[in-house]
Amino acid sequence: MRSPRFLTVTSRVFKELRNDRRTLALIVIAPVFAMFVFGLAFSGEVHDVPLIVVNQDQGAAPVPGAAIVSISGKIIANLDTKTLSISTESDPAKARSDIEDGDAYGALVFPEGFTASVVSEPSGATTSIELLLDKSNINVATAITQAVNEALLETMDQAGEKPPVTVDMVAVFGQNAKFMDFFVPGIMAFTVYLITTLLTLITFVGERTSGTLQRMLATTLSERDIVMGYAVTFSLIGMGQALLLLIIAILVFDISVVGNVLLAFLVIALLAVVSQAMGILLSSTARREAQAIQVLPFVVLPAFLLSGIFWPIEAIPSWLRPLSYLVPPTYAVDASRAVMLKGWGVSEIWIDIVALLAMAAFFLTLAVFSLKTRKD
Amino acid sequence: MEAESTENAIETRGLTKRFGRFTAVDSLDLEIARGEIYGLLGPNGAGKTTTIKMLCGLLKTTDGRAQVAGMPAGDRRASADIGYMPQEVALYEGLTVHQNIRFFGRVFGLSGRQTDEREEELLEFVNLAEWRDVLVARLSGGMKHRVSLTCALVHSPALLLLDEPTVGVDPELRVSFWDYFTRIKGRGRTIVITTHYMDEARRCDRIGFMRDGRLIAEGTVPEIQSLAGKEDLEDAFMVLAERSEGGEAA
Repeated sequence: MRSPRFLTVTSRVFKELRNDRRTLALIVIAPVFAMFVFGLAFSGEVHDVPLIVVNQDQGAAPVPGAAIVSISGKIIANLDTKTLSISTESDPAKARSDIEDGDAYGALVFPEGFTASVVSEPSGATTSIELLLDKSNINVATAITQAVNEALLETMDQAGEKPPVTVDMVAVFGQNAKFMDFFVPGIMAFTVYLITTLLTLITFVGERTSGTLQRMLATTLSERDIVMGYAVTFSLIGMGQALLLLIIAILVFDISVVGNVLLAFLVIALLAVVSQAMGILLSSTARREAQAIQVLPFVVLPAFLLSGIFWPIEAIPSWLRPLSYLVPPTYAVDASRAVMLKGWGVSEIWIDIVALLAMAAFFLTLAVFSLKTRKD
Repeated sequence: MEAESTENAIETRGLTKRFGRFTAVDSLDLEIARGEIYGLLGPNGAGKTTTIKMLCGLLKTTDGRAQVAGMPAGDRRASADIGYMPQEVALYEGLTVHQNIRFFGRVFGLSGRQTDEREEELLEFVNLAEWRDVLVARLSGGMKHRVSLTCALVHSPALLLLDEPTVGVDPELRVSFWDYFTRIKGRGRTIVITTHYMDEARRCDRIGFMRDGRLIAEGTVPEIQSLAGKEDLEDAFMVLAERSEGGEAA
């Protein structure tokens, strides 16, 4: 039996890629590069923030005659030295000027007689320490505040003091989940989306400008055969890239995958089909290969900002949120994240799959149509 | 379908193509018999390429009709019988000569073995057998044209639509091209060819002069010569072009 005609297109595109080392390198290296850049830069934790500690407290005896203790010292000892890079300073004014000069992000100042005041205060009253912060960098300022709070709670706990109310966190999903676990499905979807759209766009503008598209259309191949041939090629490449990304994520970044990886691949392959159809469609707007680059911002930015790769869709202003649902990677990110982190199956992510299928049908139809209208 | 003469490989009636307000092809009537070599001649912009593209279904006709290989132009069932060689090279530069030929062979439903057999024969003929495994991007312009012709011939089509197949081809090879065309014509193949070279026109069974989208004269070379009263085809074209303009004015 003869194989379907569109497979001749598939096999041809693969041969072209095999002959073209550069593009082949783009396909293989770009995902690896993306994984390392994102993975290393966005590990999601703040490290080694310079913080100055000014301790003017001399300590005090908890009861008259007992040994002198220093509560400020205990708090300082409890500061997280992974997040903070601590230096000491005796003059609060100097600490302030260091922040002003950009040498430190914060200064923690314990006033004179701090321990004495804590020990002698009746319960219910409060003693304060001062935290000077450079709040122009919100992430860093938040990390410092959190580290100081944790050190205070830790010290109270050691002293046998309990806060009146505590919160017990129970992880329904994502027990021990790290930021990378959350991030990897996003990188997978984004990389596959970007490279597939770009590659189809460039290859197809080439088909249009060189005349090979017309030549194909003068044969027994139909517009549908051509689009199908490309779809099969790029969904296979997309799956390969997803596999590569996942291997690096597991081996290098030690992410944990709870669910069925095959299902996540299926979702990514669907995304690749949508992306290649978009690439063909966009290629009709370009007359030369250079013009293809002009559509790039419209491909990259919405996906980058609106599809929930870096921050949840809930963090996008509500009036903008409907746009998120028009960007194909949104569904792939949501679905592959649910599969990999929560172990969800088809019965839970079917809405995402239906959305991707609908988008695939929509864009494939438009792509076929865009080839037909060239005949006028 | 209406009863059409099955004698003709191509028949057009009032075939017209307009791009906006510009008329590229203006009510063209053609009858090209099976087994005939028909040359479309004329200056750039005369409408030769547009005519060829309508015949192989790449452009929709604005008006009139065209029958190609017994079917309306653009019918995909007719495509299998057509070998189209576009004016531009239109090959995959990133593929080797062999890979290009293989692709176009497979597209027309040939098996790998059939394609290989045809390829061997055709590459021998266009003198490129040694270049089989070289990327098309590395070939010279003339070589690319030869590969392009090979791709149009690979499925042994009954009708060849060749848009300036000999541009950039050296004189010696041009002669061998024409010998080949005459040979396959002998096997009942029909060839429609556009060209600038008047010496090539002499090897056609009939020629049609096109100007501003219209067919201003048609016939065998001696017919055209006596019609214009000029021995030289280039002079003949000038006379006929002037006459057609005069006719317009009258």
